[in-house]
Amino acid sequence: MWRQLLDRFGLPVAFAIVGVMGVWLILMVLLPQWQMIDYSLHPSLLPAERGGEKDVWTLTNYLTFFRNDIHLAIFFKTIWSSVLVTALTLMVSYPLAYYLAKVATPGQAALCLLLLIIPFWINEILRTFAWYIIFAFRGPLNELLFALGLIDRPIRFLNGDTGVLVGMVYAYILFMVFPLYNAIESLDGNQIRAARDLGAGWIRTHRRIVVPHAKPGIATGCIMTFMLAAGSYAVPSLLGSPGSRWFTQIIYNWFFEGGDWNQGAAYAFLLLALCILFVTLIMRIFKVGLGDIAK
Amino acid sequence: MDGRISLDRIAMRFGDFNAIQPTSLKIESGEFFSFLGPSGCGKTTLLNIISGFLTPSEGRVSIGGQEMTRIPVNRRPTAMIFQNLALFPLMSVYENIEFGLEVRGVDRHARRQKADELLTLVALGGSGHKPVIELSGGQKQRVAIARALAVEPRVLLLDEPLSALDLKLRQHMRTELKAIQRKTGITFIYITHDQGEALTMSDRVAVMSAGRIEQVADPMTLYRQPQSDFVASFVGENNRFPGRVVAVEESDGEGDIVTLDVGLASPLPGRALIHDGGQRLSPGDTATLYVRPEHWRLGGADATGTAVRGSVHHQHFEGAWLTLEVALDGGPVVRVQLPQNSEEAAAVPAVGEACHLSYSPGQAMVLPSAGETSREAGDVATTA
Repeated sequence: MWRQLLDRFGLPVAFAIVGVMGVWLILMVLLPQWQMIDYSLHPSLLPAERGGEKDVWTLTNYLTFFRNDIHLAIFFKTIWSSVLVTALTLMVSYPLAYYLAKVATPGQAALCLLLLIIPFWINEILRTFAWYIIFAFRGPLNELLFALGLIDRPIRFLNGDTGVLVGMVYAYILFMVFPLYNAIESLDGNQIRAARDLGAGWIRTHRRIVVPHAKPGIATGCIMTFMLAAGSYAVPSLLGSPGSRWFTQIIYNWFFEGGDWNQGAAYAFLLLALCILFVTLIMRIFKVGLGDIAK
Repeated sequence: MDGRISLDRIAMRFGDFNAIQPTSLKIESGEFFSFLGPSGCGKTTLLNIISGFLTPSEGRVSIGGQEMTRIPVNRRPTAMIFQNLALFPLMSVYENIEFGLEVRGVDRHARRQKADELLTLVALGGSGHKPVIELSGGQKQRVAIARALAVEPRVLLLDEPLSALDLKLRQHMRTELKAIQRKTGITFIYITHDQGEALTMSDRVAVMSAGRIEQVADPMTLYRQPQSDFVASFVGENNRFPGRVVAVEESDGEGDIVTLDVGLASPLPGRALIHDGGQRLSPGDTATLYVRPEHWRLGGADATGTAVRGSVHHQHFEGAWLTLEVALDGGPVVRVQLPQNSEEAAAVPAVGEACHLSYSPGQAMVLPSAGETSREAGDVATTA
């Protein structure tokens, strides 16, 4: 890359570009992460004790996590639920993306995209509150189901996983739809037609032609949705508390309610490690490289 | 089931646009049949109706005597070769060819055997494991043919498949396609705007214009006896002389010799064929005379010929042919083609010099003018 930059722009500009990227990476990514890891490996001390004999390297903060069954359970539940959110979002987004990319006329596609984007002009917290109102015990959804005669007493959607799942699928759908749309859109329509012409039904056409082509898009969408879901704080607090706790809420509590930044840093680092692991796993499963995803 | 195709009063409309005017047509089993026409004439629409990608607004399609109008594309006994070939780029040559067999539940061993047979047929034996993206243009073409033949279609539909190849390869593939068609006995339906392709390969050609079939005939008949102004202008080259009939002389069974006043010093004669149901020309009718560039001779009229005077405007050297543009005295500029090695070409007048041109009236065609609209369509097609 350095060679290409040098050939195209000459030494000063190439140096400036690499320099800016380097400063950005070091100041915004590496240093804060290093600080966090440093925090996580020290005990929480009063300001007076810092640098003293108690200020030693220790794994206690991590051990706390592994010794706490409830935190472990919430950690795994966060992983599981985020995977579920990702899968649900994929199932909802794939038909939508396919419709937008290959079935809809340009006018219809533009209208649909607009309708999808407009709600995202509103703050995520406000959108989540909208779901809070819809899902309320005496809210419109229960009223509707009741009026249709489908239920005879209201359902508690909030205070559990249902609300969180629906809220998150809604909150992150665009992050799945757009990579999928881009990927499917670039597929030559004649390939779909050729598969049909050779006798393939719709399911096989998608399985053998569309999905393999869209794989980088699917991987990108899944990674983004999973990271956002696993790192989400607003949706589980508003739509899930207290029945459905998210690992981010525990991190928040360590930092701002427990006042134990060192402990919080350890938990945050665990979540980061998990996300990196997930990204690697997805890239393995879909057999895509970082380059495919960046496209 | 055989590969007969019957189109019964097929029409196709997209909104207000009539893509196909009501059309009926029968194609025989094992025939190499081409649809020839300029882009936008509806030939691809017709192909899509036969393959099942489009459902006609009106009319019925049957293949091998079976009604197909409502049968979806994946259950028709047809296979298509797309203009851009549409090979599956993520698959190997084998996987591409075996795709249709896999769909039909043929087991792995039988699939591979069939794929190998087809690769041999298209002269690509041993390339089965290559990824298709590594093949050259001609090789991709062959894989596309093998993939389509693998499903043992009754009818093979070809949508301008040679247009992406270079000239030499295109000419070679023409011969090869024709050979494959003979060997397999499958009905081939070929779509093209290239008359060279249509005329060299086809048993019969349907010339299309503005959603209508103008004429269906074998290539020789199409060239020698066009039935409409559009066909006369689109297939091969023709010099058009619109005019008015001054005399009709009944001739042998092949048609009348009609003399037309075309605005030149003397009226010009040509042969008017008598078609089934066509009306005979009589003096006073408007008609058009067509003289092909290769039918002109340099020099005065002999016993049977007719001569016109003009001056040479341009000379073009085109390999086997020498093409002259001659401005007739008081008339249009006509194109004249002389064989390069002929005596005439050796003694051709220089640019600006006067010359005489003649032709034999039996080779010139006269067609009744069918109103202004079809004449315009023909003019557009000649310039296209």
